[in-house]
Formats: sequence, C-alpha cells, structure tokens
Amino acid sequence: MFSPIAPLTHSITVYLDDQPITASKGESVAACLLRAGVAFNRLTPVSGAPRLPYCMIGQCFDCLVEIDGIGNQQACLTIVRDRMRVRRQNGAAVALEHSAQ
Amino acid sequence: MTQTTDMRPSVPMDADIIIVGCGPAGMTAAIELAEANCSVIVLDMQPTPGGQIFRNLEDNISQKSSDKQKLLAALGPAYRAGADLIRRFRASSRIDYRPLTTVWEVRPDGTVGWLRGVDAGYLRATTVILAHGAMERPVPFPGWTLPGVMTAGAVQTLLKAGNLKPTGNVVLVGTGPLLLLLATQLHKLGVKPTLIARTDRFSDGLRAMRHLRRNGLLPVIKGLGWLAQLKRAGVRMVSGLSDIAAEGEQKVEAVSFTAKGLRVRQACDLLVVHDGIVPAIDIPNGAGLALQWDQANASWRPRTTPDGLASSTLPPDLQPERCAVRITGDARRIGGAEAAIAHGQLTAQAILAELGKGSGISSKSQQAVDRTLSVRPFLDTAFPPGLSATLPDDNTIVCRCEELTAGALREKIRTGFSNMDALRGETRCGMGPCQGRNCMITAARLIEEAHGACVPTPPVFRGRPPIRPLPLGALAGLNGLDPSATELLTLEDKPEHDVEATSDVPAE
Ligand code: FES
Repeated sequence: MFSPIAPLTHSITVYLDDQPITASKGESVAACLLRAGVAFNRLTPVSGAPRLPYCMIGQCFDCLVEIDGIGNQQACLTIVRDRMRVRRQNGAAVALEHSAQ
Repeated sequence: MTQTTDMRPSVPMDADIIIVGCGPAGMTAAIELAEANCSVIVLDMQPTPGGQIFRNLEDNISQKSSDKQKLLAALGPAYRAGADLIRRFRASSRIDYRPLTTVWEVRPDGTVGWLRGVDAGYLRATTVILAHGAMERPVPFPGWTLPGVMTAGAVQTLLKAGNLKPTGNVVLVGTGPLLLLLATQLHKLGVKPTLIARTDRFSDGLRAMRHLRRNGLLPVIKGLGWLAQLKRAGVRMVSGLSDIAAEGEQKVEAVSFTAKGLRVRQACDLLVVHDGIVPAIDIPNGAGLALQWDQANASWRPRTTPDGLASSTLPPDLQPERCAVRITGDARRIGGAEAAIAHGQLTAQAILAELGKGSGISSKSQQAVDRTLSVRPFLDTAFPPGLSATLPDDNTIVCRCEELTAGALREKIRTGFSNMDALRGETRCGMGPCQGRNCMITAARLIEEAHGACVPTPPVFRGRPPIRPLPLGALAGLNGLDPSATELLTLEDKPEHDVEATSDVPAE
C-alpha cells in the first residue's frame, strides 16, 4: 500500500511481535508499520476486525498498539526507538497480563 | 508575574502563558509573547515544531538527496513557507518548548494536565492559549473502518513525515481543497490517482461565485491551477457523487458510489477520503468551554470573542474569577495557515494588552485576520460537506471504537435514550479510546433526526478529563498537582451539557 519516497537512512531495529524489522530514526511507529506492510496493527475488541491507522494525527485511536509492555499506545504519535518492542493488539490491551507474567 | 486574585490560596505559576499546539498559530503567538519578555511554555504532540501544515519541515529541508528535493517540490511553496517561522520559534530562548507532549485536561482557570511518555503532571499559567488545530470531518459510510481507507490528511502526513507514498490503485473520494492539493502532490511524486470522485457539484461552484472577494482570489486561482494540472495529467474525475461504500473483507478492495444515477464500482488498494476540516473541540469541550454551531462550515467551534477569549459554561459558583483560556488558529475557526498566523498574532497582542504591555491589537493584525478569512464563505459554499451530508444507514458503523452501528443507536434513541450523555452511558458510544472525537457529531445528528426538528446547536457529550488515555503509572506519579485547585473543579462538578436532564431516561 505504501513504499519509501527516499531510501532509508539512520536505520534502527524495532521488534514487531518479537520479529526484528527496520525502522528509520525519527519516524512514527505507525509509519514504520505501514512501510513493513502489516495487514493490521490491532484487532478490535468487539468483533475482531482488523484496523490500520486512519487519521495519522492522533484523533481516531485506530493505531493502538502495545509498546514496551504498555498497551493502547497511539502508534501515530509515538516515535520509534532502537530496540523498541511493538506488539499488535488482539482485542483489548493486554498490558497488565504481560506485566504480571 | 501576574497572580490571580482568587479566593483559593494562590499557587505559583509555571509560566505566564502555556500554549497548546505548535503549528502556525501557536508558534506565532509564542514568538510574539516571548519577544515581549513573557515566559512561555509550548506543549505539542509532535516531535518537531510546525503543526500538521508544516509537519517535519525542518528535517525535509535539511536533507539534500534528490528524492527529498522532489518531495519538497511536490509539497509546494506553501509548505516551505513555514521554514522562517520555525527558525524564529527555535531561536527564542524564552520559549520552553516541550514536544511529544499530549494534553489530557485543560481547566478554565489556567491549569493544564500533560503527559509525555510515562510522565504526567499539571502546569499552571496566567493565560492558556489553545492552538491545537483542526481535524478532518468524520465521515461514517459503509466500510470506512477497513484497513486501506485513510483520510487525506493521513496520507499527507505520511508524505511529509513518514517518507512514504502510496502504491497501487489510489482512489480519492470527497470534497475540499485538501483533496485536490493532495492529488496534485501525489501526481508530482509519480503516483497518478486512478480516480478522483467528488461530492461537490458544478452548481456548488457557481453558487460560490457570489462570495468571491478580491482578497480571496489567490487561493481560488491556486485551486483552479490544481484542477487544470490534474486534467492535463489525464486523471479521471467524477463529481456530484453520493452513497459511497468501501468494499472488502480484511482490507479495502473497491469503492462504489452513485454518480448521475448510475452505480459505479472501482477497484482500489488505498481509498483516501476527505470531507473538509473542522475545529478539534476535544480540549475546549473537556474544559467545559462554550461551543457554538458554525452553520457555514457545518461544525462546532468554541465560542470566543474576536480576540480569542473563551467562556466557561461552569455554574457561577464554580467559575474561576476570569476565564484564562484563549483559542486561536484552526482550533477557533478554520482558515488555514495564513489565517492561523494572523490570529495567533492578534491573540498575543490582546494578551499583552491585558498584561499592561504593548499597545493592543494593531489595525494591521486585524486587517490580516479579515483578509485571510475572506475566502472562507467561497470555500464553504463551493465544497459543502458531501460524504457526511446524509446520515448513515442502519448497518453502518458510527462509533469506530465500540463498533456501534447507526441502527443500534437509532434503536436506543427511540427507546428514550435521547440525550447525548444518556446515549453514551447506555451504548458506550463515545466512551472508547477516541472519546467521541469521531462519533459525536453523528450521534448528535441521529438524535436530531429522531426529534424531527433541527436543533440550532447539536448537543455534545459532556467532556470529561482525561480526554486522552493516561497510563496508570503516569497517573500514580502525577507532579505539579495543586490540590486546592482541584477541590472545586472536580469531574463531578461539571454541569450536564444537555437541556434535558439525564434523569429523564427511562429506568432499565
Ligand atoms: S492513526 Fe488515528 S490516532 Fe493514530
């Protein structure tokens, strides 16, 4: 659906569901996921429908993901960090379960 | 500097002025106030100054690769025009700029709740300027939640700050200058839209002609230029469409609509939608500030004086002595970057006058505001809301967060949950993570529909902080909290917005 305009510079690594993917310093997690071509960043809690970022400016909350163990983070408002751990959400945020493990 | 003469114990101020939002309006006000020796804190969600219009401009200008030069050329002179403003903003040492910071509460007395990462707290200032900008008009239609359906603003953000351009079959649907601008930008980047399907009609353009003012000619000429470019490029364009639907199972695969009485279906990989821009009222509504209905733009906007002073709707005994909040830029009234700069400056002048500094609002500033807003009546008439013109059918999702359909809401409204807060409490519409940003207008219109009469101002959900999710850890470590200030203005003290009391709701 999207391709890079310019070749990636300042590449860093983030983990998407434990798989390493390349990110570009300064980009948002949402942009990173769209470039990686994921089919969804979350499945809705009610019907399990797939969602991808819709507004990219923090208004729709469809870009929610778990970041470094904290659920319901807006991927379009979060900038990637080296070795950041991003998890797609299946239903409601699972952050608490994770921290309890 | 100035202390409030409140009955409550006075609390030290963190700054003279807190500005929420770092787009053209916020930056302009910050520079003007800092130059007059005021201390200014600027809170912004983005990592760098510029707002949505000048998003990531510093970085794009600094990169010399031919790809980035091509991007700059495609984004056009209006984008590059922000460079000087950003440079002046960065150069001011009196501005305490805090990027990547979201605001989850504003109170009329000048208190602002903020969040950055997992840190959160409160700040206080004598005056708060809301310059948090606009959002795209919500457009509930069948399939609008499918992956691959995105707003025009979202795609533009990906161009500016995501280093990404769309591939495959790109279809743009809707109305407004941004849709046409984006189409020309994509074309310059080598992405030729498969189809631009517009809801506006030739007759809208004709009707708009009588609103043409000499001052507003330039934007109109620009727009006609975009149209001409797209025509020359052979981009297929349809106008006057209705009844749009996105089709697909796991992602968008096609779009269909009715044009000239015929049903049209077009395969697509990305469906870009846009139905105009409206002020973001999440913060003013959460602060209990008065809103009004702007008929011309078919949207709510905060009620302010011409120089941006907001008014609180709190009952008299809860009112702060003075409302410390001013609102400027697109958050006050849609006008675009130039209008935002003009009004940001005017707001700063009004604040300085209040502080006994400066010589008040200059006639030059006033003229700039009038001039930059003079094209709006033309644009409002030429590009009326289209995708959202008719209310969605029963099967269409209205609330993206809770996946509530128009039918489910109509049903509840029919059985008596016919005011906004009752409807929210019963259905969870507006209670999901987006807090009603995308469903509130549709819910209000569904209630109007049931009443069978047009209410002058559609009702809103009562705003409740935090208006953005606060991680528990951040909440536990809140700093800067002033307990005496919270005593009176707790969540429960906020008045109901609706005329009807929630107690009218039938018992379950
Ligand atoms: S994409 Fe809409 S909030 Fe992130």
